[in-house]
Amino acid sequence: MIALKDVCKSFMQGDESVFALNQISLHVKRGECVVLKGSSGSGKSTLLSLIAGLAQPNSGEVRVDGREISKLPERFSAKLRRQKIGFIFQKFHLIPHLTALENVITPLIPENLSLSLLDEKAKTSMEQCGIAHKASMRVNRLSGGEQQRVAIARALVNQPLLILADEPTANLDENLSRELIAQFEKLKDKGITQLIATHDPLFFELGFVDRIIEIKNGELV
Amino acid sequence: MIFNMNFLLLDYAIRSLMRRFSKNFFIFLILSLLIFLLASVLMIADAIKLELNSTLKTLPQITLQRFIAGKQSDVPIARAEALLDIEGINAVTPRVWGYYYFKPAGVNFSVVGIDAYEEQYSPTLTLLTQHFDMKLLANKESMIVGEGVKKILAENYYSDFFNFITPKGEWKRVPIAGVFHSDLALESNDLIILPKKLAYAIFGMEESKATDIVVKVANVKEIATIVQKITARYPDMRAITQDDIRVSYQNIFDYKSGFFLSLFSVCAFAFFIIIYDKTSGLSSEEKREIGILKAIGWSSDDIVKEKFYESFILSLGAFLVGISSALFYVYALQAPLLRNLFMGYSELKPTFLLPFSFNLSMVILLFLLSVPIYIAATLIPSWRASSLDADEVMR
Ligand SMILES: Nc1ncnc2c1ncn2[C@@H]1O[C@H](COP(=O)(O)OP(=O)(O)OP(=O)(O)O)[C@@H](O)[C@H]1O
Ligand SMILES: [Mg+2]
Repeated sequence: MIALKDVCKSFMQGDESVFALNQISLHVKRGECVVLKGSSGSGKSTLLSLIAGLAQPNSGEVRVDGREISKLPERFSAKLRRQKIGFIFQKFHLIPHLTALENVITPLIPENLSLSLLDEKAKTSMEQCGIAHKASMRVNRLSGGEQQRVAIARALVNQPLLILADEPTANLDENLSRELIAQFEKLKDKGITQLIATHDPLFFELGFVDRIIEIKNGELV
Repeated sequence: MIFNMNFLLLDYAIRSLMRRFSKNFFIFLILSLLIFLLASVLMIADAIKLELNSTLKTLPQITLQRFIAGKQSDVPIARAEALLDIEGINAVTPRVWGYYYFKPAGVNFSVVGIDAYEEQYSPTLTLLTQHFDMKLLANKESMIVGEGVKKILAENYYSDFFNFITPKGEWKRVPIAGVFHSDLALESNDLIILPKKLAYAIFGMEESKATDIVVKVANVKEIATIVQKITARYPDMRAITQDDIRVSYQNIFDYKSGFFLSLFSVCAFAFFIIIYDKTSGLSSEEKREIGILKAIGWSSDDIVKEKFYESFILSLGAFLVGISSALFYVYALQAPLLRNLFMGYSELKPTFLLPFSFNLSMVILLFLLSVPIYIAATLIPSWRASSLDADEVMR
């Protein structure tokens, strides 16, 4: 499902360029659930961005579902992202002033679906995430945990094959975190591939997690 | 795009406009105000031009005036008959007319004396007098007035007659026999038609003289030569041709247009400030939204399309509001304020109606100057933001 080969990514910090990812190679098989751990600044978010095609690597290859996402024309990489990938962002990245429901259906808009289908999909995923009761609230009025769940509902709304989650439990208390983990388990049972970046210890002793990999200073250990 | 319309995208665009309501409403207001102003000015100018042209068409080919010591004075009627033997002249008519200053309203009325038994010298007069029995008018010593005159007199309590004051200080009571309606508004609105005899009395003129003489020629190309012959015979006479009047009207009108050209540039300036502000960049919030949309799977095309809907709705809405309020302002309300600026040249003339003329090319020009430019100014920065890496834009 995911195949990275010798991926490097650097950023300009002042005058010098600093490597955020250095020669990363990684394979995640279809249906696998992989936890990516690492301290702050180790490059977890950067790695997920590259996989989702939100940023381009400086060198190396990033393949998702067999296609090299960084080389696809923009229109197709967007489509791949929209139809196959659900991204749960570390900072939620909800659109303020829109309601929870509006945020959740936003990824479906370019698909030009019928209203009833749209509603059904949004409802299902919001119920899954236990946020359906706040559907008509504006997201900037929601608590951090509620926003987190709206963000997760949005990632799941297109029934993706691959979930990329960046610190999904960072804003949830332990109960909610366990609920979310139960949800990841269900997704795993459905055969959905997951890559979860986190430093939450709750993730480190789960039966359904196939692998835990660690990243340090932009390199896998 | 039409057959593959994404209504959800349209809906998103409308919500997005409403979300930034105050900012978008402000732009909407400014845009419609600018379009309203420009459209109004152009419509008024058009209407007046139309009015002028229809007036000019009815003017006599040659008008002869007599000047003594640089001042216009009356012409002996005997000269009119004498002119007939100049070759190329078809008809000569001595006219008795003038302005009567109506003090209470501060306006001038045009008073024209006519002879019921003569053919009228201008098509307007012929048209106007067709509807009334002129012989009856002469017998009763009464007058027919334009709508504007009727209105002003009525406002001053003269509902069915008026007391003219002659130069000798005598009162001349003249009943109103009728009111004429005419689409030749500019010319006929302030007009009073009455029998020649009455006109002589009101102006205190000798009956052997006329105010001026109008000449009809057989061939318009000969006007210049005929004018030469006339002035050679009567050196104290000056000829004004239809063309002379057209040129002088045009000059005043062009001068006014120059004034409005500056208004035009102010409007354009304001518009381009909006455009400049738009193209110079998006707010960080707007940029972030574009980044998020990309990150959750919108393509640049989708984003640009959505922005297109937004700007199309806003600018087309402003355009339609501007144009329709201009139509209402100019034709239904008769353009209060602006009209006065334009009408300066017809000093002291009673009001007349602006004739309706819908100039499609003007509307199209205004459309092209506003809607596509605004859309482009919105799309360019959005397109730029949408072609960056989502990761960069969201940070
Ligand atoms: N757009 C950017 N410009 C400059 N530097 C960046 C950029 N994005 C990431 N970096 C740098 O790359 C490194 C890795 O960042 P990243 O966000 O991937 O870390 P992380 O593992 O997700 O950390 P955290 O757990 O705190 O979220 C950091 O040192 C960061 O400063
Ligand atoms: Mg991170």
